[in-house]
Amino acid sequence: MENVATDGNWKNCFSQLAPGLVLFARQWSRSAADAEDIVQEAFVRFWRKQHDIANRGLLYATVRSIALDFLRRDSRRARREATAVSEMDQTVQPMFEIEDESQRAVVAALDLLPGEQREVLVMKIWNDLTFAEIASALEISQNTAASRYRYALAALKKNLPSV
Amino acid sequence: MSDFSEIEDKLRKLRPVQPSADLMARIERELSEGRSPDLRSETARHTSTAGVLPRERRFHFNWLSLGLGLAAAAALVLFARIQLERPVKKMPALAAITPAPQLSSPVATAEFVPAGLTQVVYHTRDEGVHFPNNKPMRRVRSHSRETLQWRNPKTGASLRISYPSEEVSLVPVTGQ
Repeated sequence: MENVATDGNWKNCFSQLAPGLVLFARQWSRSAADAEDIVQEAFVRFWRKQHDIANRGLLYATVRSIALDFLRRDSRRARREATAVSEMDQTVQPMFEIEDESQRAVVAALDLLPGEQREVLVMKIWNDLTFAEIASALEISQNTAASRYRYALAALKKNLPSV
Repeated sequence: MSDFSEIEDKLRKLRPVQPSADLMARIERELSEGRSPDLRSETARHTSTAGVLPRERRFHFNWLSLGLGLAAAAALVLFARIQLERPVKKMPALAAITPAPQLSSPVATAEFVPAGLTQVVYHTRDEGVHFPNNKPMRRVRSHSRETLQWRNPKTGASLRISYPSEEVSLVPVTGQ
């Protein structure tokens, strides 16, 4: 039996997906605030276009597209302003709630991964997307998505000897 | 192949930073302001969901497609009108191979007078020698189109009838 979707359903849906979506957007943004702006714009656009929310590949593709646009705009703005503050001085906001040193080491190892491997890992581990959905969002084959995932895990395992 | 289950478990224990309450408030505001009450009820009627996740399918009116479609239809109508209104080309006059026949046709009234008869033979085939009545005869089959024309001298109106015909002729074979 089909239910009628209300704004409440959308809100509930968003509250479930939001942490993973923001983490996904953080791959391209320096701050949590920027990532939240990206997620807001993507989700609202997705909702306004009345897409099927079950099509998570499309939702993540929307987030990625807006994040990349944001990154281009942000780069231009940074060049224009040419502030004296170097990027190294900016506070790096954490992506995870770190509880102990071993988790800190894992996060540090994650930062060392190539972007294309890390985004697959983020989609798989913290967003529970299937390889088919990841492939759809990134416009790559499922085999490529699975390979990037395996390479990421192998690299993490190599960089974290204690695991 | 190495086992990655341990590293996967370790990764899953990491919890992403929760989004700010402000983001949820902004989304709620967008959802509530983004729709008029009418649109909201309209969407609710057509929206289905499986469990928690809403599944929406709505027909979107594509104004660009409509505009292109109307433009194409208008161009088609315009083209058809031009075709209909174009004056009929005069056909090159065919050579009358026979003098105008004096036909006593019902059409040939006082107003319409016979104007000509045209016969165009467009295919002839020699079907060989045959012996009807024990005499050698060559059978020739020809296909032609005959056209009869009448004209009204007063009004200049003309009437033309054209029909195909097939003729089989037997030509005596003479030995020389």
